[in-house]
Amino acid sequence: MNLWSRIRSWSRALLRRSRTETDMDAELRSHLESRAEDLIRIGVPRAEALRRARLEFGGLERVKEECRKSRGVTFVESLLQDLRFGLRMLRKSPGFTTVAVLTLALGIGANTAIFSLIDAVMLRMLPVQNPERLVQIRFKSLLSQDPMSSLTNPIWEQVRDHQDVFSGVFAWSPRTFDLADGGEENDINGIYASGDYFTVLGVRPAAGRLLTTSDDVRGCSGVAVLGYGSWQSRYAGAQSAIGSSIRLNGHYFPIVGVSQRGFSGTDVGRPFDVAIPICAAAILGRSLDMRDAWWLSMIGRLKPGANISQAQARMKVLSAPLFGAVVPQDWSAKSQDIFRKNTFLLNPASTGVFGGIRQQYGQPLKILMLVVGLVLLIACANIASLLLARSAARKKEIVLRLSLGASRARLIRQVLTESILLSAIGAILGVFFARWGSALLVRFVSTNQGQVFLNLKTDARVLAFTIAIAVLCGVLFGVLPALRSTRFEAISAMKEGSAQTAGGRAHSASARWIVAAQVALSLILLIGAGLFIRTFTNLMTLNAGFDPNNVLLTEMNVHSAGLSDPALASLYGQMLAKLQALPGVVSASQCLLYPLSSGDEWNFEVSVPGYKPPNGVEPLVYLNWVTPGYFSTMRTPLLEGRVFAARDSANSTPVVVINQLLANTYFPGQNPIGKHIQIGGPEIGDKPLEIIGVVQNAKRDSLDQDFLSAAYVPLAQIHSLREDTTFEIRTATTPGALIPAVRDAMASVNKSASLGFSTLKQLADDSVLQEHLMAVLSGFFGGLALLLTAIGLYGVMAYVVTLRTHEIGIRMALGAQKGSILRLVMREAAIVLAAGVAAGLLGSMWITRLARQLLFGLTPDDPSTLAFAVAALVAVALAATYIPARRAMRVDPMVALRYE
Amino acid sequence: MDKQLELLQGTLDMLILKAVSLSPLHGYGILLRIQQISKDRLEIQQGSLYPALYRLEHQGWIASEWGESENNRRAKYYRLTAAGRRRLKTELHNWKRMSDVIAGILRTTPEEV
Repeated sequence: MNLWSRIRSWSRALLRRSRTETDMDAELRSHLESRAEDLIRIGVPRAEALRRARLEFGGLERVKEECRKSRGVTFVESLLQDLRFGLRMLRKSPGFTTVAVLTLALGIGANTAIFSLIDAVMLRMLPVQNPERLVQIRFKSLLSQDPMSSLTNPIWEQVRDHQDVFSGVFAWSPRTFDLADGGEENDINGIYASGDYFTVLGVRPAAGRLLTTSDDVRGCSGVAVLGYGSWQSRYAGAQSAIGSSIRLNGHYFPIVGVSQRGFSGTDVGRPFDVAIPICAAAILGRSLDMRDAWWLSMIGRLKPGANISQAQARMKVLSAPLFGAVVPQDWSAKSQDIFRKNTFLLNPASTGVFGGIRQQYGQPLKILMLVVGLVLLIACANIASLLLARSAARKKEIVLRLSLGASRARLIRQVLTESILLSAIGAILGVFFARWGSALLVRFVSTNQGQVFLNLKTDARVLAFTIAIAVLCGVLFGVLPALRSTRFEAISAMKEGSAQTAGGRAHSASARWIVAAQVALSLILLIGAGLFIRTFTNLMTLNAGFDPNNVLLTEMNVHSAGLSDPALASLYGQMLAKLQALPGVVSASQCLLYPLSSGDEWNFEVSVPGYKPPNGVEPLVYLNWVTPGYFSTMRTPLLEGRVFAARDSANSTPVVVINQLLANTYFPGQNPIGKHIQIGGPEIGDKPLEIIGVVQNAKRDSLDQDFLSAAYVPLAQIHSLREDTTFEIRTATTPGALIPAVRDAMASVNKSASLGFSTLKQLADDSVLQEHLMAVLSGFFGGLALLLTAIGLYGVMAYVVTLRTHEIGIRMALGAQKGSILRLVMREAAIVLAAGVAAGLLGSMWITRLARQLLFGLTPDDPSTLAFAVAALVAVALAATYIPARRAMRVDPMVALRYE
Repeated sequence: MDKQLELLQGTLDMLILKAVSLSPLHGYGILLRIQQISKDRLEIQQGSLYPALYRLEHQGWIASEWGESENNRRAKYYRLTAAGRRRLKTELHNWKRMSDVIAGILRTTPEEV
């Protein structure tokens, strides 16, 4: 028999069911015929031969019956028996089954939800050709620890033209474009993409054609490629979309094609709606020659046979010539030197690049995975306790089955099958819960500015994960009851029918261990919840340096209207005046960068003549252009000197207002008013600026970042104005109510300016979204864990009281007071609690370290949080113990003594 | 000719294993072979053959496969597995020991007691 036929017969044997009957029939019949033939050969007539054969054989049916009995039962058949039995058992105790299934659905569902998010954000490969051959090209600068992802266009062009390491490279940058024709913005998610973007990725067009290198040459007029989703939603998938024009930021681009279905770009969580070539940035007002504007990300595809370390070595060698060719000419010699020393760094990009949502939520997701994992463990512990109690109740049945000849292994297998069945039902429900839960989470983290889109389909990996933890759970909470209930000592002891025997005590011992473990895990979760909640409240209550309430932000862009500086200044002046005159406006001002605007890394070198700051301080200052009313609109307190006034104009002395941090760094212990400071940069001019005021530090990028050295320059003294600016309006009532009035006011000055509205409060809330999420989720799961533990503790204590009822009765009959009985019970609980709390504190010291980077304003071993968590746990635990303790106190000695 | 001996209890399994060890056979063939090598001195109940075969198969000592018999009929062939071979050796060993012991007891003369 060769291997194939052996496998066939083996698998057939495994799955045989009704076929076996026909097989057996055929075999026996064939035997009879052979015997008959032998008889015929020696001369017996046919009919006689058949009769004799049958007689010799014996009754056919009886033999068949014997055969069936001796065949035995296959593994699959016995497994099905176990499943049927398990289902029957579960149906017989609906209360237990419901509770267990719901608990498991919640636990497994939470785990699956978080895992599917992790899968979508971090694990799923890009749906392109051979994603494992893609590498991201970043660079390392001497100025920072972390590698930088964004590069300038000149560097990109250098790499594109001179690299010999990759079979193809491309660059892209996500950008929001405005579809509207003046007035309020109608945003569309777009990307600037180099000509090779789609080719190197191996993406095919769903209609028309995609970008090519000839589309991306300097001076191009630009074309557009639609993303598949956008083609469906905005153009209903019509072929007529190809060839029509799309208006982006006021300029028209012909649509030449649609990209492949299922491909949504290289930024995880941010699908692109439209892609235009990088050269088109020049049309939209962006210079392609700026050597210090960092906006492009790059990816390369390794040549066949090459590996990433070879490529890395080669790129390192190429770093000096490539960076050297595009050094920013207007930087200081020192900065230029640092620039020249930049080196390229490669890392795998099969799942997309590091940044965006992955950077923001990578660590929190991993921590959440740990949290829901611990909650599931606690839930399993509860179910294990319940099953232990149930198996004690089924002892008679088990004794009977063992004495009838069942093997212990068979019984254990049957109990495990029941457990896995339970967790399988829970897992199926959990999958539905997970889909709902993860969609909810994605909606929670989607903000106005950054909508998150994740494809949360349940793919093979998520399904495998769910099945794995379902089986694991089933085994986890089933194995202990299975082993314990089939042990011979336990069984012989149980036969006596008394609960107060070795069996009962052993049961309560393991139950107590389980609860102690639950207490420990709950404490860890409570401490974690406490840390995250306090981080969030710290952020919400800190002094940001401005008052975010009731401030309407209006971003305005005149979009290359080609206005000269004086015309632009006059336009701005008119707009501001109109805004200030609106009813309901407390004050209004204008600035280039509003707080929490995150994105623009606009810093300059700063120096004070004759003073050198201590080592380790970067000579950088973050700049902002503002109108005089800015500080009062933002409610940023003035600490010294004065703010800008009308007399600070283009013709008067160049002045500057600095923040407290800058003052302390460069003028320690002195009054900086009247002194001068030099800030590099062509917009400011090369003259030193006179300091006229010091304001309080204000948060710039986001609430959880440190204050930065900042300086404010009056708008009137800026040499070249930009076409985009922001107006802040402090309103008397809800900011949103004023939007129509602001829209009209702006339109009356310039109809084609595009407007974007948001509120500072919204931005402040969005900037702490991740901390908010962690606080809410960890609080929820911490509370859940506490509830489950309380239930578990109650169950065990109730059992302990039942176990010792007899003893309590004797004590009371001998004169013990109720108080001493209470102390007796509480002492039992206290031991379990103490063990659990000790283990929990130990564990938390090790585990909470993982969350260090996510905390704000406190360390992972913050004593007050620890103390509070322990106190909460003990309080709830004592409450849970009190009920059975009270029952112990109320025991009637006469009844107890008779109780067995 | 002497009357055929009845099979001792529990020995059918051994005989089947032995018969099959020589070469794979179908049920009827096993019957014939046992009769042949016992030179027709054993009486075998045909009705107990197949339950024994199924039991031995369930225990993993023989394996079955459908094939074609000599007269072009479909028949189920049984062959000895590796475990079955080991089992046969053990059974043989035990049988020899048992028969030695019993023979020894039965040979005891009154003087040796």
